[in-house]
Amino acid sequence: MPHCTPEQLALAALREPLPDTDAAHLAGCDRCRAEVASLQRGVDALAVPELAAPQGSVAPPPAVWAAIAGATGVSVVPRPELVAGGTAPARPAPLPAPAPPPPGPRSPSGGSVVRPNFSRLLLATAAALVVGIGVGAAAVALGTADGDEGLQVAAAALAPLDDRGATGEATVVERDDGSRVLELQLDAADVPDGYYEVWLLDEAVSRLVPVGVVQGGDEASLALPTGIDIGEYPVVDVSVEPLDGDPSHSGDSVARGVLES
Amino acid sequence: MTELLERDGRRVRVADVIPDDGPPPGSPWPDDAEIGRRFAAGDEQALAWAYERFAGQVHGMAVRAFGPGPDAEDVTQQVFVSAWTGRAGFRPHQAPLPAWLVGICRHKIADTWARRDRQRRATEAALAEAQAATGPAAPTVDSTVADRVLLLGELEQIGQPQRGIIELAFFEDLTHAQIADRTGLPLGTVKSHIRRTLERLRMRLEVDGAALHA
Ligand SMILES: [Zn+2]
Repeated sequence: MPHCTPEQLALAALREPLPDTDAAHLAGCDRCRAEVASLQRGVDALAVPELAAPQGSVAPPPAVWAAIAGATGVSVVPRPELVAGGTAPARPAPLPAPAPPPPGPRSPSGGSVVRPNFSRLLLATAAALVVGIGVGAAAVALGTADGDEGLQVAAAALAPLDDRGATGEATVVERDDGSRVLELQLDAADVPDGYYEVWLLDEAVSRLVPVGVVQGGDEASLALPTGIDIGEYPVVDVSVEPLDGDPSHSGDSVARGVLES
Repeated sequence: MTELLERDGRRVRVADVIPDDGPPPGSPWPDDAEIGRRFAAGDEQALAWAYERFAGQVHGMAVRAFGPGPDAEDVTQQVFVSAWTGRAGFRPHQAPLPAWLVGICRHKIADTWARRDRQRRATEAALAEAQAATGPAAPTVDSTVADRVLLLGELEQIGQPQRGIIELAFFEDLTHAQIADRTGLPLGTVKSHIRRTLERLRMRLEVDGAALHA
């Protein structure tokens, strides 16, 4: 049997299983095994769990930003309630014991070696990363059926966008007839010469759909347009609108949250 | 799916909130690409946005490596300071901002290991000296720790798609078949890129690793 191809040996260095005939050859061929070993040094240096894609969010203590601001001289301030991890749902971050520098090669080269078992965790994380990290608002716990009021299908906690401190909770409820309403509880000060308006935005904050007018400190039930995909417009936005007759968004948002189902 | 959404878009009134030159003040929720664009342009607000959105993930990595405490906090701090002061090196078309920050975080973690290793050697050397001439030979460098710093630097030099492919293999533990799925590249292309990148890393270790370890 001829030697394994260079590509197969590279995959072996990554500890991917080879086809049976290649694996059998590799097990008995010093030359191919030496090639795998020489390629594996780089793999062993870098493919360690400590350098893997992020798996969980941990909010840094406030002193970290203070040090960054001191070192860079910037005068802006991140909103603490939005710092990813700070508002994450109650999913305790995995806190491993402090790890020593990982040792060198994990196993002798050659032979059949199973891939490390942190892979599933990483895959889950990778998917989460693709979806987008740190959306800045936590979903509230979802109930299932809600009596004859309808079925709760998504919910969002609304976080304040500035020092006006408006907060709220939004839930999307599907009724028996298939219609959906956005139930909103808004805690916000009254607007003297204007009103609050609720919008659904896409994640890029480039398109929006108006949903209705609400008062601060009020509960409102707003019908959603038939057929709107809340996966496409997952962001609940509350804006202050002046009484100027202009139906477009004022650009003055006070609270936002992302619907999660 | 897309068609359906476009129909939705026509049925309901859809307007642009955001003028073309970016979100107005008071609407502080741009997408990652916008944050990246402003970050590269030196807009301080973008640093705060990036911190709001990505500091939790960065700090999560640092805590995973060092446990909660000063080492992890130093790493997170250094990541954002280095990213800001080194923003001229940010290439949005090579990697979006969060991926770039994660890459910097890897460097800072590897640097911290290397610093600890230097401290260990200094301590051992001092100890050996105190124990007089019969002490052991000079303490050895942990070659894996040194390799990491060297190879993370080499990864930075690799262009796309080769770099993204090897990062998926190393850092997300994907097989070459999964990488082909994820990237849409042919299997053979993925395999040959993996082979060439591993050769490149081996070459770097042979040339500079030996010198470092001597
Ligand atoms: Zn062979």
